[in-house]
Amino acid sequence: MADMDLVRDVLDKQLIDREGGPMGRADGLVMHYGEKSQPRITHIEMGGATLSARLHPVFERVWRRFARMWGPGRVEPVRIPWSRVKTIGRDIKLDVAAAESGALAWELWIARHIIERIPGSGRHERHRGD
Amino acid sequence: MRLKRFLQITLGIVTSVGGFLEIGSITTAVQAGAVFGYQLLWAILLGTICLIFLVEMSGRLSAVSKHTIVDATRDRFGFPFFAIILVGMVLVSFLVLVAEIGGIALSLQILTGIGFPWWAIPVSVGVWLLIWKGTFSLIENGVCILGLVTISFVVAAIKLHPDWSSVATGFLTTVPHANKTRYGFIAVSILGASISPYLMYFYSSGAIEEKWDESYLPINRVIATIGMSFGGVLSMCVLVVAALALRPRGLDGGKFEQGALMMTTALPKWGFYLFAASMLIACLGAALEISLAIAYFFAQGFGWNWSENHEPAKDARFCFVYTIIILLAAVPLLLAFDPIRITIVSMALTSAALPLAIIPFLFLMNDPQYLGKHRNGWIANTVVAVIILMSFVLAVISIPLEIAGG
Repeated sequence: MADMDLVRDVLDKQLIDREGGPMGRADGLVMHYGEKSQPRITHIEMGGATLSARLHPVFERVWRRFARMWGPGRVEPVRIPWSRVKTIGRDIKLDVAAAESGALAWELWIARHIIERIPGSGRHERHRGD
Repeated sequence: MRLKRFLQITLGIVTSVGGFLEIGSITTAVQAGAVFGYQLLWAILLGTICLIFLVEMSGRLSAVSKHTIVDATRDRFGFPFFAIILVGMVLVSFLVLVAEIGGIALSLQILTGIGFPWWAIPVSVGVWLLIWKGTFSLIENGVCILGLVTISFVVAAIKLHPDWSSVATGFLTTVPHANKTRYGFIAVSILGASISPYLMYFYSSGAIEEKWDESYLPINRVIATIGMSFGGVLSMCVLVVAALALRPRGLDGGKFEQGALMMTTALPKWGFYLFAASMLIACLGAALEISLAIAYFFAQGFGWNWSENHEPAKDARFCFVYTIIILLAAVPLLLAFDPIRITIVSMALTSAALPLAIIPFLFLMNDPQYLGKHRNGWIANTVVAVIILMSFVLAVISIPLEIAGG
């Protein structure tokens, strides 16, 4: 198999779950290295903490404080094991169910607490169309 | 299939009515005509040419790479640089959204006599409701059909019997003897009003929503050319009408009512209502487009679910963004900030911010990873780069001068 440039070909790419739905982007890459073992990429990381840390530590601190006070209570980034990566092309296809991975924690929280409370959000019609 | 492709031209016209002809281009064209006669027609021409190229590129990027502009920008340049573009574009687009909602409110003010701050909340709720319950094609076709009322500007221009040879001289760039600062500032605002980045984001997202592939490239070229020329010609007609109806009266075009006055001069019976209706539709189209463009920007940049065709509960964060943005946009109007001033300022700022949006975009358009053999040729690159840099330089010079001059 050919080489892959992690920053060019993996980082910041769109992640697609098992069902073909978008589940965020590859916000970070985690490498594991032990005393004796070769360093290797183990996880794709996503979430506000990873993203804000890429800008500045101050942003990360602000984000963490905000996420503790408000929202689904998910502060730590979501980690997807590298073994779940199916293909990397235009997008990264994962063998993961988005809803179970925690990647949609904010999506679901905002849906439940804000959007579905507004009339006409389609919450009740949802299953009919599918 | 043929017919369906043909109908896709509506995407171009709606992008044009909503994105090109809106409070920005109408206000700046009215001011240009009132103060400088035909002398600033070249600025509209230049803006239109640049926009034709940019819109064509936006459609091509989506059709070939299946990425929207925002999506590809995050992908190609990484999050930190993307964050800078996000902040810049969202701020500028937000100001423009305030101006558009203000434009709708001002149209309702002249129709009803009730002051525009009273309309701020009803108008933003109306805009929100259309996005909340509407689908992409409803917005597209609705604005497209209603937008035809803006053709009244063409009728008005013809009815005033302009001297076409002196109109033609307006396409040559000339520097006036007096009032140079004002001239430069209005030229910058016209360029900013014509070359609207949000329009590109909207168009490229539309191409993905409608599942374009490479077979759409010819029609994309037709849409970009016809759609944007349509908008450009309408703006030029607004300028011509203002030059003939307002300039002899010594008015400067700085008031919304003067727009109605100039249309009544050309079309005594219907002019007033046609102007109000045209403003209403054009600003409504733009408000819908900008709100969606901002929501697309967040959703695509962060990889959320996004589609105007989904029920809101299916893409909650996307809906959350436009809901918040539209509500916030009502605030400056509630505080009775003058929408016309907001418009002029936001158009000049758009001009100044153009390199931030367009230069990374040009990098993408030349990247074989995204476009393969369909990447930009040197003509497209040169035309866009020259016009963008020119409007940026003009903006950097004339904005401080305008502020210093009061």
